Amino acid sequence: MKVHYYPGCTLKEKAVALDLSTREAMKLLDVELIEPEGWTCCGAEYPLTEEKIMGLAAPARVLRQVREEGGDVVITTCSFCYAVLKRVNYALQTDALKHKRINAYLKDDIKIDPLTKERTTNFEAYNGEVKVVHLLEYLRDRVGPGKIASRLKRPLRGLKVAPYYGCRLLRPQKELALDEPDNPHIFEEFLKAMGCEAVDYPFKQECCGSYLSVSLPEAAAEASYRVLRAARMNGAQAIAVSCPLCFYNMDKRQAKIREMFLDFPGLPVLFFTQILAWALGVDKGALGLDDHAVPVDKLFEDKRNAEVIL
Amino acid sequence: MRVKLKAGPEPRKFIERIEELSGENVYACYQCGRCSAGCPMAAEMDYLPNQIIRLVQMGLEDEVLRSKTLFMCASCFTCQSRCPKGIDLARVMEAVRYVLDPKGRDAFGPNEISPELAQELPQQVLVAICRKFSK
Repeated sequence: MKVHYYPGCTLKEKAVALDLSTREAMKLLDVELIEPEGWTCCGAEYPLTEEKIMGLAAPARVLRQVREEGGDVVITTCSFCYAVLKRVNYALQTDALKHKRINAYLKDDIKIDPLTKERTTNFEAYNGEVKVVHLLEYLRDRVGPGKIASRLKRPLRGLKVAPYYGCRLLRPQKELALDEPDNPHIFEEFLKAMGCEAVDYPFKQECCGSYLSVSLPEAAAEASYRVLRAARMNGAQAIAVSCPLCFYNMDKRQAKIREMFLDFPGLPVLFFTQILAWALGVDKGALGLDDHAVPVDKLFEDKRNAEVIL
Repeated sequence: MRVKLKAGPEPRKFIERIEELSGENVYACYQCGRCSAGCPMAAEMDYLPNQIIRLVQMGLEDEVLRSKTLFMCASCFTCQSRCPKGIDLARVMEAVRYVLDPKGRDAFGPNEISPELAQELPQQVLVAICRKFSK
C-alpha cells in the first residue's frame, strides 16, 4: 500500500522521534510513505480572518502537489498540520470566494514536466480533492484493527496511558470531523488496540497553552500542568500526544512545571507513534527515546514493572 | 463597570469591520458565558471572552483594542465548540487583532524571542506565534 505522507516542518528537526517512529511502524504495516515533492511548511496556524488569504496558499499548494502525483489521500501525524490542511480543504470545497482567491495565487506556479523538463504554468485549479487523514484515522479506517492485531509483537499490557487530544485534533468539529469535540474516543481505541489501558481523565481535550508558551510561559505551564496532573491523578503512567508542540509544552517544559507546582511528581510524555512502533516490534533504538526530557526508557522494557515507573 | 457609549457612524463602522473580517455575527451573542467558563486562559485575562464580544457589540473600540485578552487567546476553539449560538470567538479575537494599529503595542514578534529560546522551540510554534501576534 502506498500513501502520501506530509511530515511538516517540526518533524524534520525538533520532533524527529515522531517522524522516525511513524516511518518504522508503517513499514511493518506494509504501508509505503511518499513525501510530496517540494513540500513546504503548512503555516501552522489557519488564518482566521477573511482577508488573510496568503496563509492559505502554501497548504493548498502542498495538497495540489499530492494530487499532481496521483495521490488521493495524504496522512499527517502533527496535529497542527492536520488542522491547517484539512481546514484549507474545507474552505476550498465550501467557500467559492476563497476558492477563487487561493487559485488566483496558485495558477501562476511553474510546473516542470518530469520528462521533457518543459516549464509551464497550466495547473488545473485545486478544489480540495485530496483527503487529509490523521494517522489515527488511517490506522482505524484503512489499515484496520484486524491487521494491526495480527502484527502486534509486544502489546503493552497493563500500561496505563492517558490519551491527550489537545485542541487541534478536534476543533472546529464541523471542519475537522475527526471525533466528537467533548467526548472523543479515537485515541482510546488506538491505545486499547496497542494493549494499553486508556486512562479516562477530564482534561484530555483541554488546551496545553499552545503557542502562548513563547509569549506567556507561566500561563502555558499552568495549562499544561492542569492536564498532566489530571492524567497522573487518574492513574496514568504516561501521557500520549500527537502534536510536537504539546510534546514541547509538556515534556521539555516539565522541569519548569515541577518548579512552579511542587505537588506534581512528573509524568512521562510519549508520541502515540512510539507506542505503535514499539508494539509492532521496532527496535528501541529507532524510537527516538533519547529526545525526551522526562525519561521514558523504563516504559519500553519487555518485562515492565509498574512500581519502577512510578 | 461604568462605560460611556458613543452613538453615530463610528462605532457602527468598527462593528461592521469586525463582522466583515471575522465572518461572525457578533449580535448573535446573548452573554451566556459558556465561552469564558471553558476558556483555559480566562484566569490571565483582563476582559473575559464574553466581555470582549459584549464590548464589540457596544462598539467600544478603544476598550477592546486596549485589552490584553487579545494576546492571551490560544485559538484552542473551546469557546467555539461550546457556543450555543455557533459564534467562533477565536475569529472575533483575530479580527480585533487585525484592526489594531500595525505599530501598536503588545504585538509579539521575532525580536522578542531570544536566540537560545529559538534554538529550543519547535518550528511550528515560531511560525504560529508570528502568524498570530505580529503583522
